[in-house]
This record gives sequence, C-alpha cells and structure tokens, in this order.
Amino acid sequence: MKAVLQNYREMSTLGSRDHSEKSNDDRGEREAGKAFSVNNVGLTIDGREILSDVTLEFPPGEVVALVGHNGSGKSTLLKILARQLAPTAGTSTYADRELATYDNRSFARSVAYLPQDLGTGSDMTVRELVACGRYPWHGALGRFSAVDREKVDAAILVTGIEGYADRLVGTLSGGERQRAWIAMLIAQDASSLLLDEPTAALDIAHQLEVLSLVRKLANDRGKSVVVVLHDINMAARFCDRIHALKNGRMVASGAPSEILVPDTLRCIYGIEMNVIVPSNTSRPIVYPL
Amino acid sequence: MMRQAVVVGGGAFLSAVILFLFTAGQHLAISAWPDALFGSGASTLDEIILLYGLFPRAGVAIISGAALGLSGALLQQLLRNPIADPSTLGISAGAQLAIVAATLFFPQILDGNRTMIALSGAGAAAIIVFALGWRSSFEPVTMVVSGMLVGVTAVALSSALTLAQGEYLMSLVTWNGGSLSQQDWSVFNALSIELLAGMAFMLLLMRPLLLLGLGDASARSLGVSLRGIRLAVATIATALAGFVAANVGLVSFVGLAAAALVRGCGISKPSAVLVLSPLAGALFLWLCDGAVQVLSGATGETFPTGSVTALIGGPILLWLLPKVRTLRAKSPPVNTTRRIQFPKGITGLLALLPFILVLAFFVGNDGRSWAMLSYADAAELTPLRWPRLLAAAGAGGLLALTGAILQRMTGNPMASPEVIGVSGGAGLGFAASLTLVPAGGPYSLAVGAALGGLAAMSIVLAFARRQNLPQEKLLLAGIAVSSLSSSMLAVLMAAGDQRAWQILAWIGGSASSATPATAIFLASLSLLIMLVAMTLVRWLTLLPLGQATSHSLGVPSMGSRMTILAVCGLATGAASVLVGPLSFVGLIAPHIAIRAGFVTARDHLVSSFVLGALIMAFADFGARTVTFPYELPLGLFAAMVGAPYLIWLVGRR
Repeated sequence: MKAVLQNYREMSTLGSRDHSEKSNDDRGEREAGKAFSVNNVGLTIDGREILSDVTLEFPPGEVVALVGHNGSGKSTLLKILARQLAPTAGTSTYADRELATYDNRSFARSVAYLPQDLGTGSDMTVRELVACGRYPWHGALGRFSAVDREKVDAAILVTGIEGYADRLVGTLSGGERQRAWIAMLIAQDASSLLLDEPTAALDIAHQLEVLSLVRKLANDRGKSVVVVLHDINMAARFCDRIHALKNGRMVASGAPSEILVPDTLRCIYGIEMNVIVPSNTSRPIVYPL
Repeated sequence: MMRQAVVVGGGAFLSAVILFLFTAGQHLAISAWPDALFGSGASTLDEIILLYGLFPRAGVAIISGAALGLSGALLQQLLRNPIADPSTLGISAGAQLAIVAATLFFPQILDGNRTMIALSGAGAAAIIVFALGWRSSFEPVTMVVSGMLVGVTAVALSSALTLAQGEYLMSLVTWNGGSLSQQDWSVFNALSIELLAGMAFMLLLMRPLLLLGLGDASARSLGVSLRGIRLAVATIATALAGFVAANVGLVSFVGLAAAALVRGCGISKPSAVLVLSPLAGALFLWLCDGAVQVLSGATGETFPTGSVTALIGGPILLWLLPKVRTLRAKSPPVNTTRRIQFPKGITGLLALLPFILVLAFFVGNDGRSWAMLSYADAAELTPLRWPRLLAAAGAGGLLALTGAILQRMTGNPMASPEVIGVSGGAGLGFAASLTLVPAGGPYSLAVGAALGGLAAMSIVLAFARRQNLPQEKLLLAGIAVSSLSSSMLAVLMAAGDQRAWQILAWIGGSASSATPATAIFLASLSLLIMLVAMTLVRWLTLLPLGQATSHSLGVPSMGSRMTILAVCGLATGAASVLVGPLSFVGLIAPHIAIRAGFVTARDHLVSSFVLGALIMAFADFGARTVTFPYELPLGLFAAMVGAPYLIWLVGRR
C-alpha cells in the first residue's frame, strides 16, 4: 500500500503544474479520435500481484465493459486509466501520450472518472454538484464564465435531471444521485468517461436507465466510455466490446457475441454457464447452470 | 505465545524489582533491611521512609495498576471495544471532578467520604457516556469519543473551579493528580480490599461476560440477561476506577495499556485477557512508578506517575486505532438545512456586534453585583479593554476559520484545530520555544506554536491518510495526540521550574496578556488569513466530494492539502498563543454556521470567521467578569460551553 501511495504522490506532484491555457470551444468533437491503450501493464503492492501483463485497446467512440470476478483487478485497471493509481510495470497511454506526462487539469479536461464510492457532497444542490465538473476549465481562481454556465445547463438537460436541479444531493434516491454525478462528468466536457460500477447499488429499472444514458452519450456525442460492470448480461446489452479479467490477467476480449459463449464464460467466472436466445428478442441471455 | 507472555511478564517483573531495589537502596542499604523489617520496628528516618513510604508506594502502584487493568479489561469485554478504559471513557476524570468540587465546596463532608464522592463522580460520568453510546448501540469509536470529551469537560471544569476559587495553588494539585507517594499503609489496605471484592464479583460474572463477547443477539439467544449483566459489569468497572481515583488521583491509560500488552503477547482468549490484565496493569504501573522515582531521584524533580502513564497511553491508543472496527452504517446523514441568503445572514450575525460591544465596555461586575458603567468610567477602562477584546475576537475568528477549512477538507464534521491535535502540538511548540529561545518574546512564541501545530496536524492527517481512517477515528487520533501533548506539558509543569507558570497560564488561555501591539497584529493576521482562505474556496468545494473525485477533476492532491495545512497551522498557532489549546470554538462555530444555513464553501468560511470572533469576544467578557475578581482562563470558559455542545452532537449523530 505504501508503494502505491508513494507513486501516487509522485504523480500528483508531477502533475501539479497549472496550465491555464483555456479554450472553451467544443473539444468533445475534436478529441473524439482519442482513447486509451495499455501495454503489459502490471501493479504489484507489497509483493502481491494485483494486475500483471495486461495489454488492451480501448477504441474511441466505443462503450467498453470491464468484467470479471470479485478481486479480478477490473476496478484497479480502471483506476490506472483514471490516473488514480500508477502502474508498477508497463505503459498506459491516452491519445498516444503516456498517462504520467499529463498534468492534472489538462487530463481532467479529456478524461472524467466516476469512482465507485461517491463522496457525500450531500449538502450541495444538484446544480452546484454539476458545476464542480467545470473546475478543470476555470481552475482555482478563474471566473465561472457564461460558457461554464451553458455547459452545466446542457449537462443537466442531457441527463434529464432538470426536475430536481435545485434539490440537495443528500435527499435524492440512488438512481437520481447516480444521474446527478454523471451530469457532473458530462459538464466536465471530457471526451472519455471512466465509470466504476455505476449500477452497483441500483435496482433493475435504474440500472437500465443509467446504462441507456451512457449508451446515448456514446451514440450521440461520440464519447468513449470504459465501464466496470458486474452483470455480464448488462455488459452484453449495452457495450460494444467486453474485456474480461481473471486474477489480474486478461482472459478474454471481444464483441459481446464472442464473449457470451459457455467456454469463455467458464474461463472468466470459473462456473458452468449457459447461453440462450429467447424467442422474443435477438439478444442472448446468460445464466448459471 | 505463552512463552512470549512469560518472557515479557518476567522481564517486566525483574525490571520493576530492580528499579525498586535501586530506589530503596539509596535510602537504606539492602543488607540493613532484615533488621528494619523484622527488628524492633522503624527507628531511623531512613527506616521509616522505607517502611512507610517506599514499600506502601510499591504496594499501591501494584494494587492500583491491577484495579485499573481489571477495570479496563471488563469494559473492553463489555463493550467489545479494544480501546475502552476508565480514562478513555471519562470515568476517571468524572471521579476527579467530584473530588475537586467536594474539596472546594464541601470540605466538611469530604473527610471519610472520599471514596463515596469519587464513586458518585465516576458513576455520573459513566452514566453520561453509556447513555450517549446507547443510541449508537455502543459503537466502539463513538463511545470513546464521547468518553474522552466527557473527560476533557470534567478536567476543564475542575480547573475552572479551582481557579474560580482563587486558590491558584490548587490548580497545581489538579494537574498533579496521580502521584503515588504514600505516608502509611492505609491506602494500600483500603485498595486491596476493594480490589479483592471487585475480583470476586468478576469471577461470579465470568461466564455470562464471556458469552457477551459473541454479540448481543447470540448472547440473548443463549439466555443471558443483557441488561442485568451489563449493569453489573459496568458498575464493577466504574467502582474500581473510582476507588483508584479517590485514593491516588487521575492515573490514565493503565487499563488500555494492560489489555493491549496482554493481547500484544498473542493472548486473545477473552477469559485469559480478563485474568491476565490485572497482572499486566500491576506490573505496568509498578514499572512506570519505579522509572519515575529513579528519574526524579536523578533530576531532583518530581513527576506525577499518572501523567507519565498518559504519555505511554497516547501512542498505544494510536497504535490500536486501526484495529478497532467501526459498526456505523455508511449512509451519510441527510442534511436538509434550509439555506440562508448570504447578505441577509451575515447582516444578522453582525447585528450581534453592538450588543457584545456594550457588554464588553459598559458592563462590569464588582464581585457582588452586576452594574452598568457610566460613560466616563467606560471611557477610562477602554484602553484596558479594547486590546483584549480585539485579540480575543481575532483568535476566535482564526480558530473558527481553521475549523471550517478542516471540516471541509477532511469531509469530517468533527474536525477542528482543537480536536485533531493541532492545539496540543501548538502547546508543545510553545513550550519548546520557551525553552530554546528564552528571550524570544511573543513573536518567537507564536512561531514556535505555529510550527508545533503544523507538525501535530501533519502527523494526524498523514496517519489518517495512510490507514484510510474513517471520520470518527480521525477524531480519536487527534484526541490521542492532544492528550499525549497535554500530558507532556503536565510533566514539564510538574518539573516545576519557572516556565511552568507560563505554560500553565497558556493552557488556560488568557486575553489579559494582550497589548495593543499584539492585538492589532493578531487582528490583521486574522484578516489576512481570511483573504488567503477566500482563494481556497474552489478546492474546499471539491475536496468534500472525496479524494478520487477531486483528483479526477484535476485538483492537485498534495499541493492543495499542503497549502491548506500551512494556512491552518499558521492560523491555529497564532490564535492559540492567546487562547490556549482548548476552546472548541473551532469546532462549534463552523457547526452553528452550517446549521444556520451558510452552506457553500465561501459562505461557510466567512460566517464561521465572524461567528468565531463574536463567540470569543463574548467568552472574553464572561471569563473576565463571571468570577470577578479572579479571572477565568478564556479557553477554559469557552471549553465549558463548547464541550457539552460537542457531546450532544456526538450523541445525536
């Protein structure tokens, strides 16, 4: 753990140079051609291998799911992409540039990250929470400009939370809260979104609602999305591609139709699973035997 | 495992015996002992010292240690809480307060009823702490936080009582609690009987007590009467702590250390811990007392053993902290505070200003009655009163601002400079600069205090960060650091040279030392720091969203924290030179501000600053007049108001 913190600190200080170059034009479209890739990435903490030798591509404009059993390293990989953790081996790049070479704010303008444990923020209104997403653009001292305000309004509209924009975050239900946080990520105006189990605490209806929103963002606005999901059926339904990890190693990668095969599933989860295609839909469904 | 325990225990026993023989041997050669012990009785002075001083002292150390060890082990088993102890639950301090109050107000009933009085104090404190813990179903950390706050309040009250009676010497008595010196065998005899009774009861309760360790539901389903057994065990543990407090004063953390030592040797079976903890406590206190005697023999100073054990207790508490499990559900409390329009709210606050100014300049107390001063009198007193008023307000503003900043930065509603140990560290810095730069004057004291505060804050926050401590534990780490530094100060003071008076005056905090120059300096500094804090508002809005989120939004994690810490350390150091380490203004003011509806970072900082300044200005008025002609320490006066509020807050959450 100590080693991680060490790396983490070094990284934070590396990135603390403040670039105040500011161009509020529509970067979303301009950056759409960029995305992540990791090459032989590994993470070892106190001699324990959390991730080893992972090589993956995350194509731009796609929704990519990271799946695997508990402790398989999927969240860790996402944290590495979000620069919350620094890998101890291998290279990780965004838009063909080494992650460690970005400074904090310019990286935040390109990549937005939704952690699994959301800080409370419960004494803010939804609108104030969404406005927090503008920090990478205006910085600690800059003016909150008209462009910032427009982006906040647009994010609120896109996520459909205008009905409760002035309520306190602490009074929202789980699904509403998740949407408010995603709105903050959208206001951040980044071209890539990293979501760590955004549906973990939600009932089935809200899971669908949140993932549909994510899908829509990719379709309509060309956002690249990496999302950690537990539910393989949800991953297959909403994602263009699935990367599967097991014990810190990559075990399968491909389109949902390639992953939803009994042999592959056994390899990922270690149990027998069956795949059927119900008669009223073309989508395959997975269930354990 | 067993072997390790035997080695550690044997080693401790041998060291204690050697220390005892060393001290005793200085009075009377060991070869002369048989004659003194079995001969015709004591005749020379040295023989008398040995027979009626040193032997009973060793005996009292052993018996008190055993009683405290047993009390601590019982409380730990009862609450399933490895950091429970009569001192962390405020029981010892409650007993101490009762004794002090009786000494001052009812000296006639104290004689002969000392034990009863101590027991009632201990009982009252225990009832308060258990009642607070009830609502969170005795969640370990909440219990100890409430307990330590009850303890802090009791200590503040004892000091205030003694100072208010004008018997300044008595304050040293309060601080000196926990000295084990004896003149005869009476204390030893009384304590032995009490300890034996406690042990007998414990053996009777052993079986149900062990079942209690399985958890409430399992114990109940096995047929244990929860309420009865809890009451009985708590009574025994409280009584044991009360007996010790009545006889030797405040001896802190022995129970904590004893059980921790037993567990540290790899013994974790509850019954074994219960049986061995008294032994470990006895050895621990005897060893500490032996070391204290050798040390004071070598330096010619006397240290109260009680504050020396507290020196060891603080680090032990920090060490145990990561092992305590927290039961609290993770759901954050829903805050439905109605917001207030900032201009309207701040105008409302400032409307109190004329009221306080009138109080400060025109109201007096001549010791018998309250009176309004005439304009001429007031004008005459103004040059005496404005510097202290301004200085108190500046200090209050700084502390409240720091509190608001720390609460936002850590996302912890209980954080404040006093609570997370900054003030205690400032005290040590203060003492260090008194020692190292004796001719430095107020500015070098301020710098020393600021550096000390910064160091303590960095330690607590770094510790919290590395261990990923949740809110309540951060608080506890801070309290541990505070109690560590205050016991270091107590030891310094007990060493009793001239600096002691300066430190003592500082601990209470007094605005009377403010000169026009220092007052203006402090007020300008507070305004300056307020302006600097305004530039941190964006960070303070994002940091409560959590480490991961603020980092992913591009806030420089280390840079922002270091900057904020530096500002806070400077502010607290400067303020606590004036008002001392304990005032709780830094905790209360930001809370009231939030509750009043100042929610966003900017509103919160500004309103906390204003409110803190107002509270402290009012506290200065109170400290100056309530017990006229004696002046109450400013910090103590504020703490007497603040700590109960804090206890209420902990209980309510």
